[in-house]
Amino acid sequence: MIEGFEFKQCISILKSTGKKAGNLHTLKDLVAQVSDDSIFHHTYQYFLKEHILEYTNDFAHWAGESLEERSLAEQLSNIDPYEYDSTSDLRKELLSVIGNYIERFPEPREAMRGDEFYFNETITLIFPIGIRVKNLAEFLMAIKFVDAGSIYYHFYEARMRVGGGIDDFSKWIEESLDKKGLAERIRAIDPFMHNTEDIRRHIAEQIEKELRGDMEVMGVEE
Amino acid sequence: MINQYNGISPKGDLLLLQRLARVLGGRSFLHVNSTREGGGVAEILQRMIPILQGLGIDARWEVISGDEQFFEMTKKVHNALQGNKETVTDAMWQHHFEINRQNAANIDLDADAVIIHDPQPGPLVEFKKKGVWIWRCHIDISNPFRDVYNALGRYALKYDAIIFSVSKFARAMNIDEFIIPPSIDPLSEKNRELSDDEISETAKRLGIPADRPIILQVSRFDRFKDPLGVIKSYRMVKKYNDCVLVLAGSPATDDPEGAAVLNEVKEFAANDPDIHILLLPPFSDRDINALQRMAFVVLQKSLKEGFGLTVAEAMWKGKPVIGGAVGGIPLQIVHGITGFLVHSIEGAAFRIRQLLNTPEMADAMGERAKEFVRKNFLITRQIRDYLSAWYIMENKGKSIIEF
Repeated sequence: MIEGFEFKQCISILKSTGKKAGNLHTLKDLVAQVSDDSIFHHTYQYFLKEHILEYTNDFAHWAGESLEERSLAEQLSNIDPYEYDSTSDLRKELLSVIGNYIERFPEPREAMRGDEFYFNETITLIFPIGIRVKNLAEFLMAIKFVDAGSIYYHFYEARMRVGGGIDDFSKWIEESLDKKGLAERIRAIDPFMHNTEDIRRHIAEQIEKELRGDMEVMGVEE
Repeated sequence: MINQYNGISPKGDLLLLQRLARVLGGRSFLHVNSTREGGGVAEILQRMIPILQGLGIDARWEVISGDEQFFEMTKKVHNALQGNKETVTDAMWQHHFEINRQNAANIDLDADAVIIHDPQPGPLVEFKKKGVWIWRCHIDISNPFRDVYNALGRYALKYDAIIFSVSKFARAMNIDEFIIPPSIDPLSEKNRELSDDEISETAKRLGIPADRPIILQVSRFDRFKDPLGVIKSYRMVKKYNDCVLVLAGSPATDDPEGAAVLNEVKEFAANDPDIHILLLPPFSDRDINALQRMAFVVLQKSLKEGFGLTVAEAMWKGKPVIGGAVGGIPLQIVHGITGFLVHSIEGAAFRIRQLLNTPEMADAMGERAKEFVRKNFLITRQIRDYLSAWYIMENKGKSIIEF
């Protein structure tokens, strides 16, 4: 009996930490101090936003747009949070990149008033969305239908929850449907280089390809 | 009632609302503000309360009353929080408290969760009976006049939590601070779909010509909305492109300065037949809806803004919006994608001309703007966030809550 896949979704409620940075020195001090939740929000949860791949986290975005420190923005954008096993490792890398930059340019500029970096964190609410699928064809229908928040929960957030860079979708496809090849192709989609809508499209393409292959396995006799 | 939003609001928001209603259903939820008409707060409460009731929540909305002296003082407080230097004497603060004390005696403040909107009813927290009390600050307090901000702070800190519309309004305060942007109701008279006949009937009745593109700003007649700057931008555009300017607003009962600003605007317009200044009566929602739909470009050239919901309203109607880069406007306008952010009168004039000369850019921007509002600024998202904040305050200490 195949175990079904139950789609869930997460929605984040934003809270302010009340802390803000107007220049890189303060940013570095606060990155060292704020909660893991705050670091998580400004890096991993960036992928929950609809964004253009100019930046890949809020710190890079702020450095580029508000401070116009383009080189630092590029270095921060190159940090792939999914390479790190924990938020504290990611925090160390952020501090190292900002610290090195400050050593090279010790007098960074001040952000305009009102344009400082505001440290937030979130409370995440997780809930089932009432969709359970039993096979790949149903899964394809569902992946096209669910909100982006559901894709985020199963493809991005799962990596931290499941561990080992594995998402919920490929895990189910491998373990319950016994389709290792498809699972690997889905795992090969780089989460860092896409937003949730791109991910939805790429997964749907891979599943359509698999389903076509399954369908055509008998071939047409001449 | 929530079913009416199927196919309009994001599915996830509706599902989470149902989950929250299951855990909070039957409990009491009180909102208090200081005006039943005019302004964004009253408008959203009119729509939100029946939806909450439809979800099985015992929701109520109370309005405090006050005399002229009270509203003059609270207007000063409002302006001071937005950065103006204002003198608010001890006697005025005492009167502010006294009016709230009188209101507390007349309003049933007994509820499981209470949201107090803006500074006017702020002191009601002194009369808290039970439940979670949240102060909802709709004002841009990113650069307040200190004396007034500190005086109001003595009430703010007595709440269990504060809700701000934008992160940059929040301060280090040692209490829970939620960031919840306001929203629009896609089914209200102000935002529902209108037929072409309805739109042209409004244009005819209000005397707005249909033969040239319309530039529109909808807002109270308030100096922070820069109506004179809008007229200056229009005059710069008019040299190159024939167009019509419409400035439309409703009076608010808690804004005694409105009449003076309206006179300044009329004087500055100097009887230009293509500038239409409309003082619409309260509840002119369908007319505002029609004006937004007949506009080619919508402006919200505010100098200070709490959030600027008129931006989301116009975006929902598929219009490109040019907005001042203040308050909550940059949250709604992603520059160059869902509209344009401007920092000057010249900037506004340039973007109006750009859109008038490239209508296909205006159309594409308008389409993206509508989808952006669907995902982020509909009333169902705001109700979801209010109920979530209430539930989070009753389950403090958890960063993940699973239903």
